[in-house]
Amino acid sequence: MLTIDGSKGEGGGQIVRSALGLAVRTGTPVTLENIRAGRQKPGLKRQHLTAVQAAARVGAARVEGAELNSGRLVFEPQAILGGTHEHHIGSAGSATLVLQTVIPALLAADTPSTVVVTGGTHNDLAPPFDFLERVWLPLLKRMGAQIELRLERAGFYPAGGGRVVAEITPGPLSPLTLDARGEILTRRVRALLANLPGHIGLREAETACAALGWTGADARPEHVAADGPGNMVIVEVACAHAHALFSAVGRRGKRAEQVAEQAAAECAAWLALDVPVGPHLADQLILPLALAGGGGFRTVPPTLHTRTQVQTVQRFLPEVAVTLTPEDHEDGPWALRVSRR
Amino acid sequence: MNASTPTRPRIGIGLIGATLDKGGQVKRWSQWRPTVALALHDDLLYARLDLIHQPRDRKLAERVAADVRRLAPETEVTLHPVAIADPWDFEQTYAALADWADGQPLDPERFAYDVHITTGTHVAQICLFLLCEARIIPGALLQTAPPRGDEPAHGSWRRIDLDLSRYDRLAQRHAARAAYGLAFLKAGIATESPTYNALIAEIERVAGVSRAPLLLTGPTGAGKTRLARRIYELKRARHLVAGAFVEVNCATLRGDGAMSTLFGHTRGAFTGAREARDGLLRRADGGVLFLDEIGELGLDEQAMLLRAIEEGRFLPLGADREVESRFQLIAGTNRDLHAQVTQGRFREDLLARIDLWHWHLPGLRDRLEDLPPNLAYELGEFERREGRRVTFSREARAAFLAFATGPDATWRGNFRDLNAAVTRMATLAPGGRIDGPTVEAEQDRLARAWGGAAPAGEGEALLLEALGPAGVAGLDRFDRVQLADVLAVCKRSPSLSAAGRVLFAVSRAQRKSVNDADRLRKYLARFDLQWHTLPWNGAAPGD
Repeated sequence: MLTIDGSKGEGGGQIVRSALGLAVRTGTPVTLENIRAGRQKPGLKRQHLTAVQAAARVGAARVEGAELNSGRLVFEPQAILGGTHEHHIGSAGSATLVLQTVIPALLAADTPSTVVVTGGTHNDLAPPFDFLERVWLPLLKRMGAQIELRLERAGFYPAGGGRVVAEITPGPLSPLTLDARGEILTRRVRALLANLPGHIGLREAETACAALGWTGADARPEHVAADGPGNMVIVEVACAHAHALFSAVGRRGKRAEQVAEQAAAECAAWLALDVPVGPHLADQLILPLALAGGGGFRTVPPTLHTRTQVQTVQRFLPEVAVTLTPEDHEDGPWALRVSRR
Repeated sequence: MNASTPTRPRIGIGLIGATLDKGGQVKRWSQWRPTVALALHDDLLYARLDLIHQPRDRKLAERVAADVRRLAPETEVTLHPVAIADPWDFEQTYAALADWADGQPLDPERFAYDVHITTGTHVAQICLFLLCEARIIPGALLQTAPPRGDEPAHGSWRRIDLDLSRYDRLAQRHAARAAYGLAFLKAGIATESPTYNALIAEIERVAGVSRAPLLLTGPTGAGKTRLARRIYELKRARHLVAGAFVEVNCATLRGDGAMSTLFGHTRGAFTGAREARDGLLRRADGGVLFLDEIGELGLDEQAMLLRAIEEGRFLPLGADREVESRFQLIAGTNRDLHAQVTQGRFREDLLARIDLWHWHLPGLRDRLEDLPPNLAYELGEFERREGRRVTFSREARAAFLAFATGPDATWRGNFRDLNAAVTRMATLAPGGRIDGPTVEAEQDRLARAWGGAAPAGEGEALLLEALGPAGVAGLDRFDRVQLADVLAVCKRSPSLSAAGRVLFAVSRAQRKSVNDADRLRKYLARFDLQWHTLPWNGAAPGD
């Protein structure tokens, strides 16, 4: 039984989700302790219980301590069950986080799977569906994964009601090295609007372009169908070898300009260093690369999330070595490398 | 949190808010709806929500339920139509909600309950609060609030557990308040006698809530007057009384003047009544009236007093209209009022009225463990009064305490004697220090005052005890000397016959007397005294 201290490193929900996904994928029983111990409201919350439930279903796992506010979870997976899984998560977390928790395991199932998740698809503090579709998925496909993603309806907080479908055909992952992004091909600003007036999106598109110094970029509001109101600014940069996407969620009481500036600032930080992989993508590539047993990428200085993800992955996959090293100095580009020991 | 001890699943109970939970097709998602927001919090998880709604709000309730199920698929939602004709009517609302609660299989062993009080009328909120407080619904209160500024749409929640014992600081405040009240009643004297402390604790509890009459009995000097005054001051500090403390010793009220002093008179009510006068009862309006030696009060005054206590009104002398006064009565006596009733000297109905809260203050001899703190208190009082600090030398203090708690110290005058002793020693103390010789001189003085060396003194005290100051004042000197000696013998004797044998020993020897006991009984009866009602023979009034 592996024991993971949930208060170490980033100390939040990411450790929980990564550990659950890896436990199912590797068939490793795990005990999570001190879950979110340093947080203002420690322990498992509804969104984490959602992830536990999703992972438990895919892994046919025996679970102990899956309760609200619980600081300790015992999770013993028995199998990897392909087939059809439907998860209704309501307002508890994000559909995209559920997909990222279960997809690595389902790639190793005996049969193809269809995973349907209803709930939020464009939430704060989680990658929007667009990130999965345009950034994460193409890279996984380059690694040999056969995954199709479909957004059937967008879901914004609080109304939710979004629906995503993932079709996964099991197969091995092969190493990938992503060291250069290549020349920038297109720049886009999309201001997603659901049941909100267009002027909000216009202001956001304008503000984001101004903040990035972009002229002539494809920047416009985009009305999407959803049950309640919703707004998200998405800044995308397509390069010859990589795609980057940064987003910020708008909500009542928050100025449209502020939302746009937030997304633009993240993009600007990535543009400033000539690397292909941004901070969020870095977190999400570590696990597939480790499963592939090789490859690597150049990225921005690692966040605490990134470092914690490396540590969690290493606990489950001791046969691979994951290293993170700065190229010249700590504030410049870093390189992540995966190799078999 | 321990994974091996599962927590109880939580059930939420709330009212569908006819206004707050409403909202249009799309617009409702832009509004904060309290009941729906329960399903949005990442740190709130309900196994079930029981939502109560007016039957006419069924459509709204169904939409709310559907939205909750969509946002929290892990939560079961049940709708409970409950008709409340006027949700602003307290009685109707409480009855409807209490009936509903009675019909629910509430099981606090298996489930934790939250009662959401943010929706519904204020009356409904109060009713839910009361139902929780009475544990009819064994749950905590849940208060939710809309988001402020650009906070996320779920807003905030707060769980309020009405079990006061779970709030350390509240419990401490409560205890501190009670402790303050106790210390206050004891005048800050850290008394150790468990019976006395229990008595004071009870007085503190009663005085804090009751406006009913209080009866304090106990020997002369036991501190009745001081305690009455402290009770008043405590009540005033707690804003329970606003009026004055009015104090009178009933033994000083004699004849016609008694009525007028207590109840007042109109101008010309009687000869010499040149001005109208408010009586003491009127002056005590809104405050506390302390009637010491209430056993000395005449029967007419007792009748008037009873009416004044019961009705809050009475008729001043010469007046044709009653006046009102609402006061709390504290009565003091060293007599056995039940015996007085038997003798027809005290009204039974008045006693029944003032006997509800009855405390017997023990004499100093019965709580010698409190002598050291009282000694310190008296010294402090002397210093406060005289502006001069006086202390005991260590040996002198030990010597005084040894004497004061020893067998020779009868403390007949109780705390009054202690006060006098300390005042004398402090006054005579050379250079502000009470030394050995000062204590020795005081011991002699006290022993003379109490002891066999001066039996007359003892007799005088017994007279006072048996008849009260007024009774003693009404004796001829001739009778006083004789009765004093008779009482001294009575006090030392185990029975009427035994006392008779001592008192009539000579006649007995000459076989002149056939029945000593009868002779003594007849003698005592001349002074309205009976053997079994002598203060030291009768059952203690507090028993």
